[in-house]
Amino acid sequence: MSAPSQNAPSKNAPSKNEGIKLASRALRGGIAEGLGISSTGSLDEDDTQLTKFHGIYQQDDRDLRPERGRKRMERAYSFMARLRIPGGRVLPAQWLQLAEIARERGNGTIKITTRQTVQFHGIIKGNLKPAIAAVNLALLDTIAACGDVNRNVIATSNPHESPAHADVLRLAHEISGYLLPKSQAWHEIWIDDQQVTGHETEEEPLYGKTYLPRKFKIAIAVPPQNDVDVFAHDLGLIAIVEHGVITGYNVSVGGGMGMTHGETDTFPRTGTVIGFCTPEQVLAVSEIVVAVQRDEGDRSVRKHARLKYTIERMGADAFRDEMERRLGFTLQAARPFTFDGQGDRLGWYQDHQGGAHYGFFIENGRVHDAIGEALREICQVHSGEFILTANQNLIIAGVIPGERAVLDEILARYHVVHASSPLRRNSMACVALPTCGLALAESERYLPSLVSKIDAIMDHAGVGADEVVLRMTGCPNGCARPFMAEIALVGRGPDRYNLYLGGAFDGTRLNKLYRADVDEAAVLAVLTPLFQGWASGRVPGEHFGEWVIRAGHIQATTAGNRFHLDLNTELVAA
Amino acid sequence: MTAVAKLPDNAPFPPDAVAALNRVITTASPMQRSWLAGFLAGVEAMSGDGEQALPAMAIPTAAPPAAKPALTILFATESGNSEALAAKAKKDAAKLGYAAKLLDAADAKPGDLKGNLLVIASTWGEGEAPARAVPFFAALMADDAPSLPDVNFAVLALGDRAYAKFCEIGHQIEARLIALGASRAAPLLECDLDYDEAAATWLTSTLPTFKGAAKASVIHVDFGNTEVAEALVYDRRTPFQAEITDLVNLNGSRSGKQTLHVELSLAGSGLTYQPGDAIGIIPTNDPAVVEAVLIPVGLGGDSVLHATLAEAHDVTTLSAHLLQSYAALTQDASLIALSQDAARLADYVPGRQVADLFEDYPHRLDATQLTGLLRKLPPRLYSVASSQASVGEEAHVLVGAVRYEAHGRARGGVASTFVADRRKIGDTIKAYVKPNAHFRLPSDPATPVIMIGPGTGVAPFRAFMQDRDAAGITGRSWLFFGDRSYTQDFLYQLEWQDLLARGALSRLDVAFSRDQDAKRYVQHRIWEQRRELHAWLQDGAHLYVCGDQNHMARDVHDTLRQLIADQSAITPDAAEAELSAMKQQGRYLLDVY
Repeated sequence: MSAPSQNAPSKNAPSKNEGIKLASRALRGGIAEGLGISSTGSLDEDDTQLTKFHGIYQQDDRDLRPERGRKRMERAYSFMARLRIPGGRVLPAQWLQLAEIARERGNGTIKITTRQTVQFHGIIKGNLKPAIAAVNLALLDTIAACGDVNRNVIATSNPHESPAHADVLRLAHEISGYLLPKSQAWHEIWIDDQQVTGHETEEEPLYGKTYLPRKFKIAIAVPPQNDVDVFAHDLGLIAIVEHGVITGYNVSVGGGMGMTHGETDTFPRTGTVIGFCTPEQVLAVSEIVVAVQRDEGDRSVRKHARLKYTIERMGADAFRDEMERRLGFTLQAARPFTFDGQGDRLGWYQDHQGGAHYGFFIENGRVHDAIGEALREICQVHSGEFILTANQNLIIAGVIPGERAVLDEILARYHVVHASSPLRRNSMACVALPTCGLALAESERYLPSLVSKIDAIMDHAGVGADEVVLRMTGCPNGCARPFMAEIALVGRGPDRYNLYLGGAFDGTRLNKLYRADVDEAAVLAVLTPLFQGWASGRVPGEHFGEWVIRAGHIQATTAGNRFHLDLNTELVAA
Repeated sequence: MTAVAKLPDNAPFPPDAVAALNRVITTASPMQRSWLAGFLAGVEAMSGDGEQALPAMAIPTAAPPAAKPALTILFATESGNSEALAAKAKKDAAKLGYAAKLLDAADAKPGDLKGNLLVIASTWGEGEAPARAVPFFAALMADDAPSLPDVNFAVLALGDRAYAKFCEIGHQIEARLIALGASRAAPLLECDLDYDEAAATWLTSTLPTFKGAAKASVIHVDFGNTEVAEALVYDRRTPFQAEITDLVNLNGSRSGKQTLHVELSLAGSGLTYQPGDAIGIIPTNDPAVVEAVLIPVGLGGDSVLHATLAEAHDVTTLSAHLLQSYAALTQDASLIALSQDAARLADYVPGRQVADLFEDYPHRLDATQLTGLLRKLPPRLYSVASSQASVGEEAHVLVGAVRYEAHGRARGGVASTFVADRRKIGDTIKAYVKPNAHFRLPSDPATPVIMIGPGTGVAPFRAFMQDRDAAGITGRSWLFFGDRSYTQDFLYQLEWQDLLARGALSRLDVAFSRDQDAKRYVQHRIWEQRRELHAWLQDGAHLYVCGDQNHMARDVHDTLRQLIADQSAITPDAAEAELSAMKQQGRYLLDVY
């Protein structure tokens, strides 16, 4: 699928982050001391790289930047804290605790993220320790939710759907625990309130003192559901289910979203399926993928440090060979599988045993106000669990008979269930402004209104009832997995986006740039005739992302290293 | 004293001149007559031919008296008004021939009171003695206070009619002195915020009534012209029109508060100040409030009267006194009933303003009746937030906008909303300097300073730090600051960071009450740091508290007592005594409001 890249492993000096990690005493750095400095709401710059390994990002409210200097105040710093919740399963009692943390320590909202977890925003420095300590009291943590380590492991949602679903939730927990850093820094800094200085820090047998070159993401899918976008991750595991039992996993390596505008040696990439392993082998396989990337990944240029570039450079075959050499066994040939979509099951549905579940559509995953209140009340009566999904939704899972009517009543009373269009239900946005330091344009705050406008032109074209996957991000780093969408808008600057088309509805193909630097009017103007063409020209069941390719509007992106190729350059710049 | 001051018929003047002079002399007060005598003596001395004139004028006391009568002027001051009045009284008394000395109640014991005594006492808040005078006041009221039969006194009481217990401390001191056997030389004078004229008149008539005054009947009028030659000094009655060179709300746009940093240009005024001083601001009233006062009394739309009220009168403060005057004026039966019912009055007055009274009991008034009801618009004092060593001919103040709702109406602080809503950069504000000699940095720059100033209370500490920084002082300094929200309300955050980075400020501890469920205030930080803070006190640190009087300063004081008791392993009473001693030594200083 991919030719070896010309990118030789860099012989250049390690990046600044490598030095920070090396000197960090197993991720401690000066975080504890920095928390005690009350004159500033920020931490030392190097320490902000280390807090990521603790699931914590320093941010500031960019809306407020213009006024701060005049008011003789520093930037409005706060922190984002992201939890590690493998497979996205939390109990109602835990959710209540999280809601309390958001209310007292954060900005009052909870963001359900595309990594099947939640994050708090707006935690000021003085509240950070109490917030993390409260997470710990909820029997959860934020360890390795960000940083150059394996992050939250995601898995096809709802363990009740089938035994295979239950198995992959278990596996997500196993892998997450297995690949967790050994450093006790998190407990020390946030929970125990003790600083370890002077003595030897913990060994990291897998990660070593410099951890991984870059972040590392794992997703597990149970076909035909590809709700986790299994090809968008460094390591994708596709459960092969035969007669209701998982016989093993196809192994996909080198997926990833992030790129940099204007730098064509950076690109999103769908993972390469390199073989199949048994359930007994899957932990070892996961570890070895991490280990090879640890040793072979680029540590001098962070933009080229993800596994996808290592695979491009080594070639997938050579990478598999190295894995097998270290594993001492060979991967079997990949088994056949098919996906049918990236979305979640929303609304009420029943599992194989007749259990009831409610897929709660939460626009852009933002739990606030009425939704938050409704969920709190549901927590009082719900005896099952909540499953966070990789599409930023929440499943009220394991609803016992008799409870459904109560839940319906609560949802109705808070007016949190709306007749959302298929487009809206299949849309996702990253956080972007005002808190994300990377954002070039609005995303979460803007997408809902744009969806309404696109809905209108789709309705007008007669395709308003059809499902189309639309994703928006404020920058090209890919938090909402935009490059897997049928339609993607990726921020370029204020009110300006790149428009990508041609992703596959089942999450198996990247999209491609169709128009650069377009504003809302141009987006609507460009999409209108396309929807009309799709309405009249599609074959039954043909998704928008397939039709735009067949109709010749855009070429299919067959591999990540062809993402920037085959563009209709005239149209792009039009 | 002369019983009848009248020129004899054989006086060397024509009859019409005798009549004219008699018209003046017979109606003049003793002091005026004394002044006149001094004036004439001075004229003669300057004209050089006094040899002829003096015997004819027969001025018995032009020669130095054998012994000047003593007069003790005791003052109990909070904001400095009593102290300033005491200084004026001392000058006046000296001109009358008294050997007058000032006695600060902060340094006084009841046993120090002897002979002629003029008491000038402020009442603070809800009928309390000024903070620094509390020990004296307590000792005077105590059962073991000495009897004072030799004391011959008069009391000038300062207060604010906005508070129920108007001039309470003055009255209590008077009653107590009488109870201790002292005799009263003149009746007590109650003064509201616009005390200048009333106090001056009272002093003129009262000072000559003390024992020994009869001998002192010539005022030595100074013809040296030194005082007159001084340039016009801007003060409360003649404020300077200071231009606003910067005006910014320091609170973030999502704050519930509005705290204005105001930079005033003093260029050309000759005004100078020191850190610790206050800037007096004379506001104008909100036109809407003025109109709300005028309309119910049938004077709406009177633009001349509107302007007068806006500039010169207190159109907001409703006092029982005003209500009673209005009742008497209007003869409104229900209002008279209200004015005579203390319980209903105590329920009605708080939170209401003049406009509410007029709306509730509307009666037509004429302009004179209306202005007669209203006291003068008092100035507002703001602790100066800058040091001239750093800002030159500017004065910075920090103005917290006061806004609230009461009795169904949105209300605003007169001066703070004047600055917040009706002033902009380039406008002027009437301002003057109000010195506060009792809130100064230690004379030894090596003495550690602990500054506790949440909210606008941080203002004088910005002045302190600017002053120390400009002088290169790196002696230890520790600031406790607090407000509601770290992100929205951290006043002067970047400046503190800068001072910390350069070592000018040694420590900063902050408490923000609304960033978490459990309210956190500066006293909580103080308690957390009790070991360190106690060590600083042991090293002789001076401790300053500025800001809210009713809650913050009390809570901080309680915490300090607890802290000293805890760290020194002594009883709370002993700790309280230590704090009192610190106050006496000028090491525990308050600027609270």
